[in-house]
Amino acid sequence: MNDTMKKMATGLLAGVMTVSLAACGSGDSGSKNTSSTGNGNSGSKGSKVTIELAISKSSQDSAFVAKELLNEFEQETGIKVNLQLLPAEQTATVLQTKLAVDETPDIVQYNLASATTDLNLERNFEILDNEPWVSRLLNKEVLSAYGHVYSFHVSQDTGMQGVVYNKDMFKELGIAIPNNFEEFLAVCEKIKASGVIPVFMPFKDNWAANIWPAAAFADWAAKNEPALFDDINANKKKWADVPEFATFLEQQYDVYKKGYTNADILSDSYDMAVGKFLDKEVAMMFMGDWLIENVTEKDPNMHLGLFAIPSSDDPSLGASPLGGQLFIPKKAKHMEEAKKFLDYIATKEVAQKIVDTQSYVSNFSDVTTPELPEYKQEIVDQYITPKKTALTTDAYMIVDRAELYRLLQDQFAGGLDPEGVLQAWDEKFSQLMKDKGVEGF
Amino acid sequence: MKISKKLYSYYLIWPALLIYSIFFVLPALIGLFYSFTDWRLDRETIKFIGWDNFERIFTDKTLLLAMKNTCIFAVVTVLGKNLLGIALAVGLNMKLKSKNFLRAIFYSPSILSVLVISIVFTPMLRSEGTINRIFDAVGLHSLSQAWLTNPSIVIWTVAAVSIWQHTGFQMAIYLAGLQSISKDYYEAATIDGAGSWRSFVSITLPLLLPAININLMLTLIGGLKVFSEVFVLTGGGPGNASQVVGTIILRSFGEGSWGLGTAVNTLLFAAVTIIAIPLLIFMRRKEVSE
Repeated sequence: MNDTMKKMATGLLAGVMTVSLAACGSGDSGSKNTSSTGNGNSGSKGSKVTIELAISKSSQDSAFVAKELLNEFEQETGIKVNLQLLPAEQTATVLQTKLAVDETPDIVQYNLASATTDLNLERNFEILDNEPWVSRLLNKEVLSAYGHVYSFHVSQDTGMQGVVYNKDMFKELGIAIPNNFEEFLAVCEKIKASGVIPVFMPFKDNWAANIWPAAAFADWAAKNEPALFDDINANKKKWADVPEFATFLEQQYDVYKKGYTNADILSDSYDMAVGKFLDKEVAMMFMGDWLIENVTEKDPNMHLGLFAIPSSDDPSLGASPLGGQLFIPKKAKHMEEAKKFLDYIATKEVAQKIVDTQSYVSNFSDVTTPELPEYKQEIVDQYITPKKTALTTDAYMIVDRAELYRLLQDQFAGGLDPEGVLQAWDEKFSQLMKDKGVEGF
Repeated sequence: MKISKKLYSYYLIWPALLIYSIFFVLPALIGLFYSFTDWRLDRETIKFIGWDNFERIFTDKTLLLAMKNTCIFAVVTVLGKNLLGIALAVGLNMKLKSKNFLRAIFYSPSILSVLVISIVFTPMLRSEGTINRIFDAVGLHSLSQAWLTNPSIVIWTVAAVSIWQHTGFQMAIYLAGLQSISKDYYEAATIDGAGSWRSFVSITLPLLLPAININLMLTLIGGLKVFSEVFVLTGGGPGNASQVVGTIILRSFGEGSWGLGTAVNTLLFAAVTIIAIPLLIFMRRKEVSE
């Protein structure tokens, strides 16, 4: 009896081990395929290295992963780029896990501000200060954090955030760009009288409620208290200590309360925005310039523009930290080849091609910015050249901001007033900073 | 030889037990360990922090709200799915020409994905959606609501959608239970002069107890573990109004607080076990055999 049981158990264990070994074997052989060729390449010329580039599925149209570019890179260097397309809604989680278990891709495409909060930039990614292309950068800041260049991009054209507006409607109604909050309310009133919804608020997506405060807070801090965010991050000051912040939150709520928005702001989502502008149902929206790009893609005859959030007199345009940069993890298996990929994109010819195709504002001294779309040229002339931009608050926060977005949404659901939002965020912010081990919390 | 024959059947448990241990018991034990640590993405080392995570759970307002919402959802869905399930099963156990068709109709929502349900219900539950339009059309304007965006009713709305989707499944189990009850009991009761309500209370309900127990367990565990319905319909919002324990676990992981997320998960597991097992034992004792 015992023998039979032993036989059964041994058989089963052997079976399981065989399966697991086979699995390990196959995984190994797969990685061996990559790594062995990799080793081969560093030792002998001609054999191929495959580098892994992880990118969110929602960014698969990125210029950096265009098939033509990857093929040309492979032909020139013998290095193949394999794309790891990550599910859009799980990109952060998947990358966090990959980094935690040392299954790091060789290159990651991500957003700089989010990488500082989601992916622990300092711990996980390579400092690129000494790369050859850095000396040609016009604006190092948009690729930097903690005083170092951590990311790569050919553009300095950060996502600009403000009020997206229909220029034709403004022209027809004889409306000028508002320069403060009172003027903005007057504009809303005039648009409402014409039968169009002045502002589209899709706050079912709670992040959309952050566009107004993120720019307004940053503009106020830049003009009145430049060290404010450093103080907040050192726990020397609280978010609720700035009465103007509560005013800015109240302003956004006022726009809704006065009836200048869509009725169902908590049911409407961002994916409805393009349609609302195309159907000319709405005149404005607090959003980034990417919305203009999305709308004009569908209808090139639409004339949309962007102006600064009119929270106080003569406001600056919000500049979100540049999105879609390339990062190299410290534990990349093919560090040298990954850097070669960045070098290749940074070459004058390749960068020029990308900048031309994408209508980017070039970030390289020897690459010429092409003729920009009308809206973009206006942003450059009215805000970037005269240096009337302020990095949005997202750039200064080193913790997950999702709870702040929920609190902002709660204000519109009637659960919190502006002071309540800031106090609740202070509590959560302190907890998150403490969890992160930041000194002073 | 005899013992060997008796034990032979247990051999078949081995593969399942092994797989269960590797893929469930072991991860659960590892999870239990991590729930007592400060495990985070941005920490080089993992430190044992005792009951800190659990203390935090019971002092965090959002987590407490999530627990309250989970309890509301569980109680409402257990009652709704089972009462309606029994009513539908009794109704469709009668001699009706269209009973098979109706059974299929009532069962069909339970085979749909929650995502499909979300796509169908979200526009219906808007302020200007179908449901409010129906109320307005029949003069019941006062019943019109922002079903998914009013913080005070949102969790009830999600529970109602869940009841709509799953009652058919509960109905199917009750139908199976009803069909196993011998008709002789009802004939004897009729001869004794019992009416249909009396027969239902004295014959149907006691003999249906095994099915009721199964359904209570399924709906209670499902209710306490609710995640997908809330996630796709409201995402836990507006604000944190419809957060449940399941969405809080996701939130904790998103914030990088993996130790805390694991602690909430451990707590959920403990709560389900503590509530479900005594209830199961209690209900088993009430069962009668034919």
